[in-house]
Amino acid sequence: MSRETPDADPDRPAEPDIDDQGIDRAQIRDMLALTPEERLKRLEGFVTGILEIRALNAGRAIR
Amino acid sequence: MPAAQSADILRRLAAGEVEFIVVGMTAGVLHGAPVSTFDLDIVHRRTAENIDRLLRVLAALDAVYRKDPRNLRPTASYLASPGHQLLRTSLGDLDCLGTIDDNKSYEDLLPRTIELALADGHKLRVLELAALIEAKERAARPKDLAALPYLRATLDEIRRRS
Repeated sequence: MSRETPDADPDRPAEPDIDDQGIDRAQIRDMLALTPEERLKRLEGFVTGILEIRALNAGRAIR
Repeated sequence: MPAAQSADILRRLAAGEVEFIVVGMTAGVLHGAPVSTFDLDIVHRRTAENIDRLLRVLAALDAVYRKDPRNLRPTASYLASPGHQLLRTSLGDLDCLGTIDDNKSYEDLLPRTIELALADGHKLRVLELAALIEAKERAARPKDLAALPYLRATLDEIRRRS
């Protein structure tokens, strides 16, 4: 009888690729797969989303 | 504070034949670093002809000094100085820097830049990632130190690929 190891589970999420500085190398590789313009657009989308949330919650005390 | 439409601002500058170098964390993003920033920083060439071209683009973008309640507009004499012009445009904030990193000008930085293409065919000059890291190491402000691990890891990934 063989014991099933976690690696044998096809539904198991992939391990994050975090280096010893705590940096997610997979995020970097995702960015490197884009063109420079696509990288800027990704940043803009992220920042725009954050600013929209901030605008919706303007004036609210956040503890 | 509107989010800067960085790509559109850069495209306008390039289309206006402005000579400039993208620096700061936007340069890091262009190189592939997974970081966020609200700043779009450029170092412009401070010749009279280039300042004229820059002023034309800034006028079209309705640029004003973002810290000044009088909505003052940038002038040739300010853009000719080595100082930092912190502007708000119709497409978001844009910092036009006469010099960076211990008074380095456009000409000083130029040998350590790369050219990147935009989708519409225009070209951008961007500070090399290694040079950006060195500048951040020298600045050593808390925000620079926080970004350095991401920039170094990105440079490491790029070097592994080449």
